[in-house]
Amino acid sequence: MNPNVIPPIVDRRPRACSAWRAIAPGLVAAMSGAACVAPAIAAPEHVPPLVEPRGQEHHVGKVVFEELVTPDLAASKLFYAGLFGWSFRDLQAGATPYATASLDGRPVAGLVQKDMPAGSHRQPAWLTFVAVRDADAARETAVRNGAKVLLEPRTIPDRGREAVFADPQGAVFAVLASSSGDPSDELAEPGEWIWSSLFTRDPDADAGFYQSLLDYEVFDLPSSGSDRHLMLASEDYARASANTLPATAVGAHPHWIDYVRVDDVAKMVDKAVALGARVLVGTRLDRHGGHVAIVADPQGAVFGMLEWTTSDDQKVAK
Amino acid sequence: MNPRFMGWSAIAIVSGSIMFLSSGCVATADGGYAPNVTVGVGLDYYDQFGYDYGGWGPDYAVGPYRGGGARPRRGDGNPGHAAGHGFRPAPPSHQTPSIPSGPRAGGRRGH
Repeated sequence: MNPNVIPPIVDRRPRACSAWRAIAPGLVAAMSGAACVAPAIAAPEHVPPLVEPRGQEHHVGKVVFEELVTPDLAASKLFYAGLFGWSFRDLQAGATPYATASLDGRPVAGLVQKDMPAGSHRQPAWLTFVAVRDADAARETAVRNGAKVLLEPRTIPDRGREAVFADPQGAVFAVLASSSGDPSDELAEPGEWIWSSLFTRDPDADAGFYQSLLDYEVFDLPSSGSDRHLMLASEDYARASANTLPATAVGAHPHWIDYVRVDDVAKMVDKAVALGARVLVGTRLDRHGGHVAIVADPQGAVFGMLEWTTSDDQKVAK
Repeated sequence: MNPRFMGWSAIAIVSGSIMFLSSGCVATADGGYAPNVTVGVGLDYYDQFGYDYGGWGPDYAVGPYRGGGARPRRGDGNPGHAAGHGFRPAPPSHQTPSIPSGPRAGGRRGH
């Protein structure tokens, strides 16, 4: 060999290494791209269980949760925090901003933000969740008795299985088979949901529907004129009323309304108005006692407030 | 920059964008429920717009029975509705119940 000739450098690495060199930059780039989108596709945070610590109680037919859909989550949180003292925890739930509301650590509601296109003739709403043992079985029973399925049963991690229906008269409600059990039958505290009413054109027919679905006992209470006032009960507790939708209500359609317990309805209505609410049914004395009012929050979601005092506790104490 | 690297980067960006968009999309119906709800929470519901809540007569009652005096029973109501129920009435022996009245431990708040 001529010592003046510099031998060529021979690449003795295996061919596979050459291939690696070819794909490595792309692999790195792909991994970088995946890392960029990882937060977007990460599993969403879970809503908290309905009952913590998890319990074994189940109360079929009890209204156990409410969920608000609002176009302005921040404004809704401000309103309900100011009115009832609720506190909120934001969840990263995919593309949908969601917050859980609680009062003294107990979950009271969920708030979902959803854009509302102008001119859509829709309005924000509170959705009523009724406890069932089996959401899929409830679906079958509801459909068999004339309901329409708006959202098929689906599992919400840590929460349970839920579905949304429109009853035969068109009132929208949800069912929840809680995986952590249902809240105990205790008197709601001020600031918590205490009562629910169904307003419908045919309370008798709708009571029959809910009886088939939830095995309610139905009590026919005194009423005036053509108005009906039925009480839906389970486990010897009143769970909701079914009322005749007033014929004079313009544009009325069957719906549920949930009520928050307050100590002084008139005072709370004033407070709600100061926070931007509209009064739909002014403070009035309910025939069974206590005052009641219906308001719409600043975004338009409707809810009621119902007085329940210490003397009421004593009246109904068992 | 290495042209091969740039090519792979473009592929990564495009595929990443597709993954991002598919994870965030919620196809919504007109104001109602999303037909393909992909979020883990929330029911995506808007109610029908604007109805009048008036029309409650003076005896219109919505609240729970509160006790005191004789509890109303089935059939105490408007006699015009005594027959033809769409529901199975509670047995006459059952008194109208009220809401749970048991206090919760920890006292109560004021509002």
